[in-house]
Amino acid sequence: MSIRTHATRISAVGVAMFVLAGCVTAGSDDGDDQEDPQTVSDEITDEEVTLRLAYTDDPPAQALVEGFEDQYPNVTIETAQTDFGNYITSITRSMSSDDAPDIAQYNPGAMRSLVPAGHVLELGGYSELYGWEGAFPPASLEQLMSDDDAQQFGTGGLYAVPGGLSVLGVYYNRPMLEEAGVDEVPSTLAEFSEAMEAVAETGERPLSLGGLEVGALHLWNAVLNSVGPAQDYLDWVYGAPDSSIETDAAAEATEIIAEWVEAGYISEGSNATSDADALADFTAGNAAFHATGNWAAATVADEMGDDAGFFVLPGADAGSVPVASGSSVAYSISSATEHPDVAAAFLDYMNSPEAAEIQIETGFMPVNTEADVATDGLLGDIAESFAPVAENDNIVPFPDFAAPGMIDRLTAGLQGIISGRTTTEDYLSSLQEVWTSHHG
Amino acid sequence: MADITQVSPAPRERSRGAGLGTGRRRPLNRRAAKAWLYLLPAVIFYASFAIWPALNTFYLSFLNWDGVQPPSWAGLGNYVQIVQDPALYNSVLNALLLIVFFSFIPVCMGLLMTALLMGRMRRGMAFFRTVLFLPQVLPLVAVGVTWRWLYNETGLFNQFLELIGLGGITRAWLGDYDLALIALGFIGTWTMSGLCMLLFLSGAQKIDPALYEAATLDGAGAFRQFRSVTVPGVRREITIAGVITTIAALASFDLVFVTTNGGPADQTTVPALLVYRLAFNEGDIGTASALAITLTALVIGFVTLIRRLARENA
Repeated sequence: MSIRTHATRISAVGVAMFVLAGCVTAGSDDGDDQEDPQTVSDEITDEEVTLRLAYTDDPPAQALVEGFEDQYPNVTIETAQTDFGNYITSITRSMSSDDAPDIAQYNPGAMRSLVPAGHVLELGGYSELYGWEGAFPPASLEQLMSDDDAQQFGTGGLYAVPGGLSVLGVYYNRPMLEEAGVDEVPSTLAEFSEAMEAVAETGERPLSLGGLEVGALHLWNAVLNSVGPAQDYLDWVYGAPDSSIETDAAAEATEIIAEWVEAGYISEGSNATSDADALADFTAGNAAFHATGNWAAATVADEMGDDAGFFVLPGADAGSVPVASGSSVAYSISSATEHPDVAAAFLDYMNSPEAAEIQIETGFMPVNTEADVATDGLLGDIAESFAPVAENDNIVPFPDFAAPGMIDRLTAGLQGIISGRTTTEDYLSSLQEVWTSHHG
Repeated sequence: MADITQVSPAPRERSRGAGLGTGRRRPLNRRAAKAWLYLLPAVIFYASFAIWPALNTFYLSFLNWDGVQPPSWAGLGNYVQIVQDPALYNSVLNALLLIVFFSFIPVCMGLLMTALLMGRMRRGMAFFRTVLFLPQVLPLVAVGVTWRWLYNETGLFNQFLELIGLGGITRAWLGDYDLALIALGFIGTWTMSGLCMLLFLSGAQKIDPALYEAATLDGAGAFRQFRSVTVPGVRREITIAGVITTIAALASFDLVFVTTNGGPADQTTVPALLVYRLAFNEGDIGTASALAITLTALVIGFVTLIRRLARENA
């Protein structure tokens, strides 16, 4: 038996490794499905139409689909949900196949290669027709634009439309702050730091942070938004020629994180803490602050009720309008769809007051900033702090958007900062190295 | 004990000789055809899900391909890129260190447990086997998540340390810059030791009891018996355990992915994790394939080395 087992084991494991990378097959089609610019129309057929939609984030996808079907009873949208990890690894394959879904949730990282290959419909015609430019917050559309090669973002064609916005901020534990004598929500970055100090003096933990996954990069990103000029950051994330992250602002943001580590507000143990564990730690009342997005609002509200509050990390100076990272659950149309007009009508629906209500109910910020959405409690808190950000068009994308693989460098680099083993210079130059290898 | 490398050719030669000697080729052919018919489902399965993807990966490793757009020929470019990447060296060094924890210590632990369980302790043997083999049956993802909790700042491991008065050294072990890889390694030790033990126990049970009796008559104590009778008796099993666990160490992915994801600050990255990142985070299928091929070559090299060492010591 031994030699057989032996040989089988070797080949089985060897093969498993092959399969790891080999589960993809080189496609031979040259991919260019996009035909000549077609005529666009906002007239929707009254015949029965069935569209297929592939998505990963629910909410809001399913509720939005139902809302749209109520308005257009002749349209049926069949949905297929895939969990996030599998979605980003499979969506490029399914969108470039002969059997592509008509509409797909947009993912900038995964779908980068679909744009140059022509598998995603360029929406300029519809944008003009429906007047999307004035209807959506410009920053939310900007993130969904790219040049033909998908090298530079924030410019060029529009490839998706947002169906609900998310925003990065800081949750706080009201009773813990009262205990520490902090009466007001911080209005400057320095006040935030002082609030953490006050909490630390009471013997409680100021901040819960998940450094194992994306928690640390969210915090760093929020601080960077707070200290730096937004334009430099935007240029870098969008891949504008010659831009760099090795700026004074980025260095200052990194130093601030290092100081918070030094002061004990952030523990080295954060590096082994997952985002879910960090959130659970915060909602269990073990820390006063936790930086993450409104996607966690439902969980926080359920666990903490009125004890929890939310603010967008303020700027360095009092009175400055905060800048916050945010993204959207956005939808793209396949260039192979037979019903582009109907699909575009679904995208236009995202901006309607009805959709705004669905978006806020499902925990997102509405894309229609003028929609009157009354909420209270934590969701109201989030909506209130988000409003000035959106109105001033101060939503910026997340830093991992800058280049493929950037998320791994960001995570590892910040783990080094939290461990006190990586210098600010090394961290920023490692990010720039990834950026340069992609953007040239 | 015969060496495994010498055991296998003998029966094959014998059967071939018998076939030729009798000169009755037709029945044999029919028998062979029948055998192939039985094998066919397995062959088809193996060829389409193992051999074809493997060959395909080899082909992909010579391409520049993002998974969607038309690929272009890269020649050896991807391999050159791998050799020039310092991150790769670190990940290979990490994987080599993991061999100590996934392979060397478990083999020693397995031998130790075999020594303890071999002699008088017949009662309760099934219980020990089940408990110690359990890590092998659990999915590594569940193992990883559980150990992440055990290792965290307020986890069971630190609680235990405080209980025995070592509260001063507690920390989030998987988040510690210097100790994360070792902490990760011990999870592997826990997972692999039971497997080694089970292999060695089954091997040891085949040893002729007369050998132990003879050793006892010669005045050999328990340790001497273990060294001179049990260990040589399970030589084959030790080789197998060494090969399996070394492959597990070099190809480790799931455990690392779940517990540290290569962190903190790349202190626990392993080659398989980089393959995954290249393919799915960076959309660089060509380089990912080249790295997978390199890793396979490394594994084959190590397995050959282990088998050769085992043969020399025979």
